[in-house]
Amino acid sequence: MKRLRRFLHTPEAIAGAFILALLLVMALTAPLFFPGDPQAIAGPALLPPFQDWSLPLGTDRLGRDVLAELFHGARTSLAVGLAAAAAALLIGAVVGTLAGFAGGLVDEALMRITDAFQTVPSFLLALAFVSIIGPSLGVVVAAIALSAWTGPARVARAEVLSIRERDCVAGARVIGMHPLEIAFREVLPNALPPVLALSSVIVAAAILTEAALSFLGLGDPNRVTWGGMIAEGRAVLRTAPLLSIVPGVALMLTVLGVYLAGEGVVESTAVRRSLS
Amino acid sequence: MTALLSIRDLRIAYRRDGIEVPALKGVSLDMEAGERLAIIGESGSGKSTLALAVAGLLARGSEIDGTINWKIPKSQAPHSFALPSVLPDISPTRGEISSSAAGSPPATPAVGETDRDSSISPQVGEMSGRTEGGAVERQPFHLHDRPLLLGRDIGFVFQDPSSSLDPVMPIGKQIAEVARTHLDLTWREAYAKAKTLLQRVRLPDPDSALHAYPHQLSGGQKQRVAIAAAIAAGPKILIADEATSALDTIVQAEIVALIRRLVSEDGMTLIFISHDIALAASLADRIAVLRRGELIELGETSQIVNAPQQAYTRALLDAHLGLDAEPQLDRQGTSA
Amino acid sequence: MSVLAVTNLTKRYHRGGKPFAAVDEVSFDVGPAETLALAGPSGSGKSTIARLVLRLIEPDAGRIDFEGANFLALSGAALRARRARLQMVFQDPLAAFNPRATVARVLDDPLRIHGIAPRSERPHRIAALLERVGLDTGLAARAIHEISGGQRQRVAIARAIATRPSLIVLDEAVSALDVSVRGQILELLLDLQRQERIAYLFISHDLGVIRAVADRVVILDAGRIAESGDARAVIADPQSAVGKALVAAMPKLIRNRP
Repeated sequence: MKRLRRFLHTPEAIAGAFILALLLVMALTAPLFFPGDPQAIAGPALLPPFQDWSLPLGTDRLGRDVLAELFHGARTSLAVGLAAAAAALLIGAVVGTLAGFAGGLVDEALMRITDAFQTVPSFLLALAFVSIIGPSLGVVVAAIALSAWTGPARVARAEVLSIRERDCVAGARVIGMHPLEIAFREVLPNALPPVLALSSVIVAAAILTEAALSFLGLGDPNRVTWGGMIAEGRAVLRTAPLLSIVPGVALMLTVLGVYLAGEGVVESTAVRRSLS
Repeated sequence: MTALLSIRDLRIAYRRDGIEVPALKGVSLDMEAGERLAIIGESGSGKSTLALAVAGLLARGSEIDGTINWKIPKSQAPHSFALPSVLPDISPTRGEISSSAAGSPPATPAVGETDRDSSISPQVGEMSGRTEGGAVERQPFHLHDRPLLLGRDIGFVFQDPSSSLDPVMPIGKQIAEVARTHLDLTWREAYAKAKTLLQRVRLPDPDSALHAYPHQLSGGQKQRVAIAAAIAAGPKILIADEATSALDTIVQAEIVALIRRLVSEDGMTLIFISHDIALAASLADRIAVLRRGELIELGETSQIVNAPQQAYTRALLDAHLGLDAEPQLDRQGTSA
Repeated sequence: MSVLAVTNLTKRYHRGGKPFAAVDEVSFDVGPAETLALAGPSGSGKSTIARLVLRLIEPDAGRIDFEGANFLALSGAALRARRARLQMVFQDPLAAFNPRATVARVLDDPLRIHGIAPRSERPHRIAALLERVGLDTGLAARAIHEISGGQRQRVAIARAIATRPSLIVLDEAVSALDVSVRGQILELLLDLQRQERIAYLFISHDLGVIRAVADRVVILDAGRIAESGDARAVIADPQSAVGKALVAAMPKLIRNRP
């Protein structure tokens, strides 16, 4: 409770939390408000918004309900963004901890692999990965995670290098704890805060990457995505610009919300640290 | 006998997670000019809080009540300074200060009523992290007459010289900066002064030490530099807050000898904060014993050591493990 | 037969490109239930020796025999198992424990790692350990950062004795404590030594403390042994320059006792 109050300390954090909450409600209530397939034809094609109250945001080129697509798109964006970020943080934290804690040859090998991943533009990597394996939700998540884990790995390694020298690691060694247990039970949890501080950036980037992949037609074809909606709307950009603008604004607000909420979390933990 | 420093019913509390934690619960004491006072106590006794309050270095957000009055003998007329107005957010307590000061002995005029009072500003505390030994670059808020200034009137030596010295500034410059700021010297004069100071604190090879960085020095040498910076502006009061606790015994003895020499050469008033009663007794004329925020005993060193009035003081003396007496430890296992 | 025998132990570091020996051909031994103190100014190498003996760092030369076997020959699982017999208490227990841990977890780890007690029995063992070091058993659920410094050092001692060691290295273990607490901790250590026959390698810069608890003392200077012998005899009449300096530097408290 106290933590929440401290988190909601700044107006930025409140705005971010509000946007994210809205997005979450959209994602969770999508099957309730819009049961059935959002890609099914719901009415006449290219119905402008606010004409028919059963289709408040109108329909697209194929007569699909834009509001339903928007709600279901939120599901995809959020799911892919969170899953990819979680996977990237997990891979990064594990690789960084192993490299930093083991040192020597293991460190060298792992960090050169990290370098290799970092030198390839991350979007290109995701693009190549999806084009080779084929677009499905799982592959998209894996592709995004694969292009985003290097940052967390570097941060985790740097943190582990300093924690490794602390007495608590020496203390764990003295009682005969296995090095892997020391690495993942004693060191990793203490190295996490700065790594987790990256999560908002990674979630935001993952949502954008997913949208970009969908825009290029490399998203999961069985799911509505905001990127896909923008791509759809592109064909009728002159006659019905809102078809691209609405999902675009949704995308922008989402990324903004993630950033602001992330800032709020970092701020509140920073305050807590300076207090203790 | 007029007091240089007069503390009346000083109460300080810190706020932590919205809870008020008392650090000092009504401490009153007087100090005379040229006196060496040791304040001893264990962790949580409030001894460092008292030192910081006297120097005007308390952290933002501390609740302060009571008075700290100074009379600086250097100036002609006796001046009185209200220190508890350390923070803007507690400035409403100024009213309380003057009213409580009105009840204090006539030697200390009511603070709110004199036009000569001034206060140490909170900026002093903010600056202390970067500039060493209480060097201050900013001026206090209220410049009525002659404010009591940390760095110029009070030199402060912290426990850990590694964190009080600027790691990326040559030590000569750190000392010269203090001298230049407070003594209106040119850089050239300030550097000459810094070199003299390094000689006074017996740093080997002061010429090259001027250009050395803190990491090139040992712990004891860094503390010598910190002391040099603290006395650079020729303060009348030197406050040493656990200044030797992080050092080994040999270096501790050297630093204590250095402080003793400098204090007597310059006629400074010394406030020596320590947890070590034997160390305090070796340096101080009087000892104040703090426990859990309260001043439980104050007296001449010989009286405190030989005839302590309080059981707690006696326990502190008994717990000392020196080389002179039999250690009062249970070696034979008569109790389990 | 000694519990620990150290022969010609050497550890070199590089400082400013030049190699220097932090520990230089140091030899000593510790007998069963004996307290050997290592004293010396900072930089004399005493803490490096502690870490070498515990194999937290590896020596460049020399030999360490623990309980009659070559301790430096062990590695991996064999070394970890052997560590049960050779424990350490650090100066700052807050830094030596995972700050997120509870007292119970800190004490549970050695019992679990060395298979000393099955899971169901461990809470009883933990309670017994807490009682042994004079702590309330209710403390088990508390977080390490919530308890006082003296309590924390008692927990550190409980953790060290959990695996029934024959030697505990105490690295400035009482230096950061308040004097009143320090006396109690020293008494606890002496009591444990009598009851459990534990030997101590007691590292301190404080000759007053060493005189109160140690049987023998080794005085170090710049990585080398300056002198050694019976603790009281050496402190009463030091022969080496550094020994004399250490004795002279101790603050004297001259009390006219009634």
